[in-house]
Amino acid sequence: MRAFVSIVRVTTRQVVGGRRWIVLSLLALLPPVVMWFSSLTLTPSASIDRYNDAPLPTLLLLVVPIVTLVVGSGALGDERRDGTLSFLLVRPVRRATIVSAKLAAAFLAAAAIAGMGGALASFVLALRADTWVTFAPTLTAVLVGTAAYTAVFMILGHLTSRAVLIGLVYVFVWESGISFAAPALANVSISRLGLSAYVGLLPESTPGFGALTEVLGVLEPGAGGAVAKAAGITLVCVLIGAFLLQRLDATSE
Amino acid sequence: MTTSPAVVTGATVEVREVSKWFGQKVAVSDVTCSFGPGLSGLLGPNGAGKTTLLRMICGLLNPSDGSVSVLGVDPRRDHRVYRRVALVPEEDAVYGHLTARAFVSYAADLSGVSRKGVDKAIRVVDLADAADRAIAGFSKGMRQRAKVAAALVTEPEILILDEPLNGTDPVQRAHLIETFRRLAADGRTIIVSSHVLAEVERMADRVIAIVDGRLAAAGGVHAIRQAMADIPYRIRIDVDDPRTIAADLITSASVTSVTMAGSTLHVETSDLPDLGRRVPQVAKDLGVRLTTFEPEDESLESVFRYLVRRRK
Repeated sequence: MRAFVSIVRVTTRQVVGGRRWIVLSLLALLPPVVMWFSSLTLTPSASIDRYNDAPLPTLLLLVVPIVTLVVGSGALGDERRDGTLSFLLVRPVRRATIVSAKLAAAFLAAAAIAGMGGALASFVLALRADTWVTFAPTLTAVLVGTAAYTAVFMILGHLTSRAVLIGLVYVFVWESGISFAAPALANVSISRLGLSAYVGLLPESTPGFGALTEVLGVLEPGAGGAVAKAAGITLVCVLIGAFLLQRLDATSE
Repeated sequence: MTTSPAVVTGATVEVREVSKWFGQKVAVSDVTCSFGPGLSGLLGPNGAGKTTLLRMICGLLNPSDGSVSVLGVDPRRDHRVYRRVALVPEEDAVYGHLTARAFVSYAADLSGVSRKGVDKAIRVVDLADAADRAIAGFSKGMRQRAKVAAALVTEPEILILDEPLNGTDPVQRAHLIETFRRLAADGRTIIVSSHVLAEVERMADRVIAIVDGRLAAAGGVHAIRQAMADIPYRIRIDVDDPRTIAADLITSASVTSVTMAGSTLHVETSDLPDLGRRVPQVAKDLGVRLTTFEPEDESLESVFRYLVRRRK
């Protein structure tokens, strides 16, 4: 447990060190800024519609993937790049413990940054429409998306030094493009898990609820299923990461 | 049955017929050696395969062939052995955002040992004054010492150091060498790699020499020295009358060959001090102007290559 906590502490500073957290925090401010300026003249009901139409997709399809890509791919990737992986591996610590601690640190850092963006966007909506109805669903959606994305990008960061480039292609081509254009593929989209959690937790009495799926496309499997799927993806990635650390040569770049 | 000088009794680290290749490149080829308590030097020119061998011993690389055992177990299969082993890698494996104290504490936490030894480890490497500064601002030598402190804090039975003296100044170097020798005297297994023969001579009682990924020589430092004693020295001599000097040198029993290229002589001799005395004297006696007298091929790499050729 002591090793786990230490790895989390050091990794958290590592993945959001330097100017990274500033740049990512500025990105995370995009949804509340969009919400603020796009709802200046709207009625409360129209503001909720606008929230679902612009700030929410910005948050879940842009902010969460990019923040988790940068932070997640650095969790193990930075150790490889900086040559510190050997420092970590020549220790009496299980590989699964190392990977799960790394993932926990990356998740906490990414969730804090993306969660701030989501919370502020909901806060702006509360100012406009006097309702906090989107607050919990938004944060849950951020947590679900962050968990799954971070786990996948952590493995990608360990496997290649071009994780950010490959991740960006994945996010923009697959997540924001193909998975929306082909509803049959929606079930294998991580961003859809977050959206599913959001819709699953949003009260049906919320204005514009019925139009949500028209705007956001196919949203399976609901909040519970999304959480379960994200947990499953995370677990699989921890196992893959531990396997890779155990079997692959620990070479620095 | 003959016993190879590369193998010791009571070994804590055993390397058996180990090879490692990366694609088409063979980094280590069929090396068998072992290390026991005391200070052993792993000597070889840059790119000889020392780091690859040490990383296989530490379980960071999978041998392509052969096996490694540390304290009786394969480190890749039983991570508990790392409680008793520490590595100081060659690369800059430090976390720049941490202070030296936090870095050493991190090593203690990961190895499951008390943080009580952190201050002591920092003092041993003479970093107490800089302990609370971020490592990012450290010089190369200070980073090296921080890495050594992070290894010492776990009080390992086996300490593996890959070029630990790189970047250190002469005073720090002497201090670290003394530290390694003291740890070895405590009965620990200390393996130090270096490409500097003089450095290893100062530290190690026993040397394993590697060239081109192969074992070139092994044994006590004196035995290695002895093995090198009959290497012909190659000397370049520039004079204004090379024929006169060459005519004299070929009468010397220790000179094995003389070749002439313009005003330059390339001389091979088994007795360098004798040649060093003879050439200036002859030049003076015969009125020849001597402008250059320098070894042409005295690099450690050439010494090692000689050892490899001799083994074949």
